[in-house]
Amino acid sequence: MILFFLTSGLFLGWSLGANDASNAFGSAVGSKMVSFRQAAIIASIALILGAVIQGAGTSGTLGKLGAVNALGGSFTLALTSAITVYMMTKFSLPVSTTQAIVGAIIGWNLFTGNKTDSATLSKIVVTWITGPVLGALFTIPLFILVIRIKKAAKIHLITFESFIRTGLIIVGAFAAYSLGANNIANVMGVFVPAFNLDDLDLGIFTLNSAQQLFLLGGMAIAVGIITYSKKVMETVGANIVQLNSEAAMVVVLAQSLVLFIFSSSALSSFLAGIGLPAIPLVPVSSSQVIIGCVIGIGLYKGARNINFRLLGEITVGWIVTPLITCILCYLSLFIFRNIFNIDVGSKITEGVQSSGTVAVIADPETSAIMRYLLFGVLAGGIIVLVYYYLLERKKRLELQKSEAKFWKNIK
Amino acid sequence: MAVFTRTTKNLILNIDEFFDNVELGVLVFREGIKSYLYKNMDDLERHLQKVDTLEGNADKLQRSIENEMITHSILPQHREEVTKLIDELDEIIDSVKSSLNEISIEMPDIPASLNKSFISLTEASANAAEELIPAARAYFKAPYTVREKLLKVYYFESETDKISRDIKKQVFQDMKELDLAHKAHLRYIIQHIENISDLAQTAADLLAGMAIKIVV
Repeated sequence: MILFFLTSGLFLGWSLGANDASNAFGSAVGSKMVSFRQAAIIASIALILGAVIQGAGTSGTLGKLGAVNALGGSFTLALTSAITVYMMTKFSLPVSTTQAIVGAIIGWNLFTGNKTDSATLSKIVVTWITGPVLGALFTIPLFILVIRIKKAAKIHLITFESFIRTGLIIVGAFAAYSLGANNIANVMGVFVPAFNLDDLDLGIFTLNSAQQLFLLGGMAIAVGIITYSKKVMETVGANIVQLNSEAAMVVVLAQSLVLFIFSSSALSSFLAGIGLPAIPLVPVSSSQVIIGCVIGIGLYKGARNINFRLLGEITVGWIVTPLITCILCYLSLFIFRNIFNIDVGSKITEGVQSSGTVAVIADPETSAIMRYLLFGVLAGGIIVLVYYYLLERKKRLELQKSEAKFWKNIK
Repeated sequence: MAVFTRTTKNLILNIDEFFDNVELGVLVFREGIKSYLYKNMDDLERHLQKVDTLEGNADKLQRSIENEMITHSILPQHREEVTKLIDELDEIIDSVKSSLNEISIEMPDIPASLNKSFISLTEASANAAEELIPAARAYFKAPYTVREKLLKVYYFESETDKISRDIKKQVFQDMKELDLAHKAHLRYIIQHIENISDLAQTAADLLAGMAIKIVV
């Protein structure tokens, strides 16, 4: 039953992987500079690492907005967010998983009678606006820098393209890492307060309860990337590539910097340490940040290049997505509690929330199930990687053989 | 990554070698025509053999460049145009070979009074093709300079047209002693020589468009 409740989060993770991974590797795959297989493997590994290593910061902020204290509640939140994301994507409306989950949490707060922390909410909403703006601001100087280096260096076009290709892989991996770190909270954040699993010792390092959930969520996102993101990467990527390759690389780099900034606890603490305002650790929409970055390129090339329709779509997304998810979540919670008699959470008394003792799942059996599940999925992942490697090797050898035969015949 | 770097270096070397072949081919064309005009048939034969080797090399390099670009997905955004450019340049060396071959087979009777004009025509046509090579090289290293380099191609192409028109006029209007078949044969040879600069102009047009796309 516990694992069943997690499925909605995993579904949300899958759809995030299918849709948002294109922001990291769409330009590389769309321009055929990197094969989809390579991109999927690199993105999956980087994303899982980002989620496990750095996912806690943004998850904490969502926890402050609403600490869902029943698995049924977490399930409903993730499910309604996933449905909203799926439906809006189906109707080609701009959608962000982040905005959906925030709307769902507010819906849960309203349903259970919990107060929505307005300070946290305003912090989150402000980052939705500053995310794309920062993206544009980062893009312009980075783009100028790359253009100047290209002009001054006078390197051969083919060498330059090979640098760009390497750059796209590195930047794509960084973007996937940042996406995992920043957006894992959307997928698993609502489950974190409801779980208290035993630490999982992997020999080199130990994963705490939240990290185990993030690892599982990261794997769901990776499955989304491998199974369903190819088409999105090729189509969305092709749109980004209408910029040239260096602009596409700058756009992905700027986007990953924004996502990284909004999820790095270390950077936030460092700034606070030197007396500067700490950066709020908030999940932001990678799709909207990347639009901000593309607009940055447009601004550099002249305002007439800016697609104002995209700006309008972002603004509509800020309002429509949380609103729809909030209403849908409220109705679903009502149905689950009153018709299916599922505990979807209750009002948290003052003091309990802040002390972080809202976890309801703490039995050793669940920890054991989770342990076996993670090991099983990890083993499966390694088998898939080895299979892919052997497939690539076979393809390469066949190509070498056919090349040798071709040149032999020519001679 | 090491394999990729090696492929990239190979490709750059192959493209450079291809340009060298075309450039040398044009040089040999110029010398070959002069050899024929000065009735130095041994030299013409030597030039023919040379151009035959250069054209064969260029063909192999062209196949290798296209092959490497596709199999290793190099320059995916510019691949089609680069391939087209290589094709156009290959057309030039192909035309050089076929022109010299035809002269060697048909042995056109070029009146000595036209020698100077034919040399000027050959020089102008070969210059147009020669000036194209630095522009093509610049596309890969300094695309901002391509268009200024192409100006010389256009200049020599129009010079070639002018000289060709003058020679044709002279042949058909002033040289009454030549019969029509002889005149037609001369016109045919003139067109062959002129064709080199026309091909250079076609490649230059393509290159100019490619340079704009890469700079913007």
